Amino acid sequence: MDWRRFSFIGFIIVFLFTVVVLIGGSRVSPTIIISSMLTTTIAVATPLTLGALSGVFCERAGVVNIGIEGMMLAAAFFGWLTAIYMNTVFKFDPNLSLWTGVLAAILTGGLFALLHAWLSITFKVDQIIGGTVINILAVGITGFLNRQMFFGEGSIFGGNVPHAPGLLPSLSKWLAPLCGGPEGCLGLPGLIQGTFLDQKPVALAAIALVLVSHYVLFNTRWGLRTRAVGEHPKAADTVGINVYRIRYVNVIIGGMLAGLGGAYFTIESVPSFEPLMTNGRGFISLAAMIFGNWTPFGAWAAALVFGASQALQINLQFFRDAIPPQWAFLQHAYIVGLAPYVLTMLILTGIIGKTIPPAADGQPYEK
Amino acid sequence: MKKLYAVLVALLVAAMLLPACAPAQTGPECAKPEVFCVGVVTDVGKIDDKSFNQSAWEGVKLAEKELGAKVQYIETTDAKDYDKNIATFADEGYDVIVTVGFALGEATVAAAKKYPNTKFIGVDQFQAEVTPGVAGLIFPEDQAGFLVGALAAQMTKTGKIGGVFGTDVVPPVWRFGEGYCAGAKYINPNIELFIVYHSDVGFDKTFTDPEWGSATAKSMIEKGADIIFGGGGKTGNGAVIGAVEAGALAIGVDTDQYYTLPEAQKGLLSSAMKLITPGVFDLIKAAKEGKFPDGNYVGKAAYAPYHDLDSQVPAEVKAKMEEINKALLDGTLKTNVTPAKTEDGKGFCTP
Repeated sequence: MDWRRFSFIGFIIVFLFTVVVLIGGSRVSPTIIISSMLTTTIAVATPLTLGALSGVFCERAGVVNIGIEGMMLAAAFFGWLTAIYMNTVFKFDPNLSLWTGVLAAILTGGLFALLHAWLSITFKVDQIIGGTVINILAVGITGFLNRQMFFGEGSIFGGNVPHAPGLLPSLSKWLAPLCGGPEGCLGLPGLIQGTFLDQKPVALAAIALVLVSHYVLFNTRWGLRTRAVGEHPKAADTVGINVYRIRYVNVIIGGMLAGLGGAYFTIESVPSFEPLMTNGRGFISLAAMIFGNWTPFGAWAAALVFGASQALQINLQFFRDAIPPQWAFLQHAYIVGLAPYVLTMLILTGIIGKTIPPAADGQPYEK
Repeated sequence: MKKLYAVLVALLVAAMLLPACAPAQTGPECAKPEVFCVGVVTDVGKIDDKSFNQSAWEGVKLAEKELGAKVQYIETTDAKDYDKNIATFADEGYDVIVTVGFALGEATVAAAKKYPNTKFIGVDQFQAEVTPGVAGLIFPEDQAGFLVGALAAQMTKTGKIGGVFGTDVVPPVWRFGEGYCAGAKYINPNIELFIVYHSDVGFDKTFTDPEWGSATAKSMIEKGADIIFGGGGKTGNGAVIGAVEAGALAIGVDTDQYYTLPEAQKGLLSSAMKLITPGVFDLIKAAKEGKFPDGNYVGKAAYAPYHDLDSQVPAEVKAKMEEINKALLDGTLKTNVTPAKTEDGKGFCTP
C-alpha cells in the first residue's frame, strides 16, 4: 500500500474537520460537529465511491470508462421508475418496490456497460467516444422518457408524477428492535451510532464493496487475470487468458457498481428524479479513481476527501458569523468548493508519489 | 467500420429524440375588438401542476367568470417552443397573454416587441427595463420569507431553525433567505439560524440538486435544528423531503407545497407563497380597463395553511401569524431586507 498517499489524504480530512471544529466549536459541541460531518461525508461520498470503484474495475482491465456519469443517471431513472411501477401498478409493498428498484438500477448500469463493452472491446471504438455516447444517450433517454411518461400529452401517469414509495430506511431503523428506544443501539457510543448506524443500505454497501473489490482484485485468480489483461493483454493471451471475456465481465461489473451508485440518488437520498440530477458526480468519481491510483482503498479515500469538502462547505456556512475576520475568504462557499479539485491537480503533479495508470488502459486489444 | 458508424449514428439520433410540441388550440374569434381573449403559455409541465401553471390558470379562469374573457391555454412540452407557443396566441389576436415562469422572460419581451397590440403578463419575470406592453408580476419574497421565519421561530422547540436555499446571487432567493432570518429574529432575536446557500456550483446546478439539499437539511437536524425551510427549486424540495424523513418539520416555497410534495405532507408546516392567482387577475382586469402597468407589478405574499399539522399549531401562534401578515400587508411592519445580495454578504442571516 501506498502509505504516503493515504497519510496525505488522512491529513487533509482531519484538517478539514479541525477547521470546522475550531470555528463552530463554541456554538455546537465538537462531538456533534464531528459526528454530523462524518455522516455527511460518508453519505455524500457514496455515489463517488461506487463510481470510482466502477472506474477501477473497468480500467484495471484496460478499458477507459468515462460513461460512468451516464450509467449512474440512467440507473437513477430506471431504478426510480421501477420502484414506482412496482408500487403503483403491481401493488408491491413499498419496501419491496424499493429493493426491486435498486435491482433495476444495478441491471441498468450493467446494460449500459454491456453497450460500452460491445463498442470498445468488440468494435474497438475509441473508448473516450464510446463513453461519450453513453453519456449523451443517458441524458437523452432519461430526459425523453421522464417527459413522455410524466408530462407529455396522454402520458402514462397523466401529468401527475406518482407518489414515490418512499426511501430506503437507515440501518438504525432496521435495528430498531435491538436498539430499544432513541437512547442507544447495543450501547454503542453516540459517534459510531450517528456515523454508521444512521447510514442507509447503499452507503453501507459501498463501504463493503470497497473491501470486496480490494480482495477480488489483489487476492483472487480473477483479480490477477484482470490486472494482467489491463497491463499486458498480449502476455495474458499467450498464457491462455481470454482477454475479451475478462474485459467484458469487468466492464459489466463496473457498470453494475455505477448502477448501484445511481440508486443512491433516487431511492436512497430523495424519492424523485430530475433530469441531469447526477450533476457531474460520475466525472468526479473518475478524478477520485485517479487520485486513489486505481486502487479501491485509494478511490474510497479520495471519495471521502470530496465528501469531507462538501461537509466543510455546508458547515462553514452554518457557522458563517463565527469565522474570524482574518479567514474571511472562507465565507465564500465556492472557494471551499474548489478545494478537492485543487487537491486532485496537486496529486496529478506527483508531489506525493506518481499516479500510474494500468499500462494497457484505453487500448483496444487486437489478436 | 461501416457497421460501427451506423451503430454510432443510430445511437446519437436516438439520444436526440425529442417529443413533438403541443398542438395549438384554436381560440374563438379573438381578432375582433369586442372579444376579449386571454391565453396562458405554461412553463414546461402541465396546466394542473398544482404549482405556478395552475395558479396562473386559476387567475385567468377568474377573469373568464368576472370579466367575460375567452380563455385558452397551451402547455409547453419543451423550452424550445416558448416563442412558438406565444406566437400562436398573438397571431390569433389574443388581447392578453400570460407567460408563466422566470424561464419565459426573454421570449415574452421579444414577443411584446413583435406584437405591440397585445399585452403580456410575465409571472415571476422581473423587468430590468420597461418594455411597453409587458408587466412583470413579481412578489415580495422577503415578506413570504418573513412570515415563515416568524412561524418557524414560534414553533421550534430547540431554538434552532435551518434554511436551505439555491444561490444567493439570484435576488429572489436572497430575499427569501433574508426575509426568513428577519422574521425569525423579529420573534426571537437570539434564535440560532443555520442558513446554507448552494452557491458553490453554477446556475445550471444550484436549483436542481435535491441530493445536496437533503444532505444539507439532515446535517442541520443533527446539530439540533427542528424546522427547515427549503427555498430553491428542486434543491429546496430535496431539503423539505430530507427534513421530514429525518423527523423534523419543513416549510416549502413558492406555492402550497402540500400539493406538490405528497411525500412531505406529514411534516410540512407551511409554505412561503407567492399569490399568483390574484396578481394575474388584477393585471388582466387592468388590461381590460386600459390601465395596464408596463414594467414591474408587485403581487402579494402569504403563508400556506398548516394542513395536517393544524392541530399542533397553538391558537396564539395562529393569531400572531395573522397579526404579522396584516401588518406586512398594510405596511406598518417592514422587513428591511435589501433587494439583492449586499456587497459584503451581510444582512439578517449574517450580521
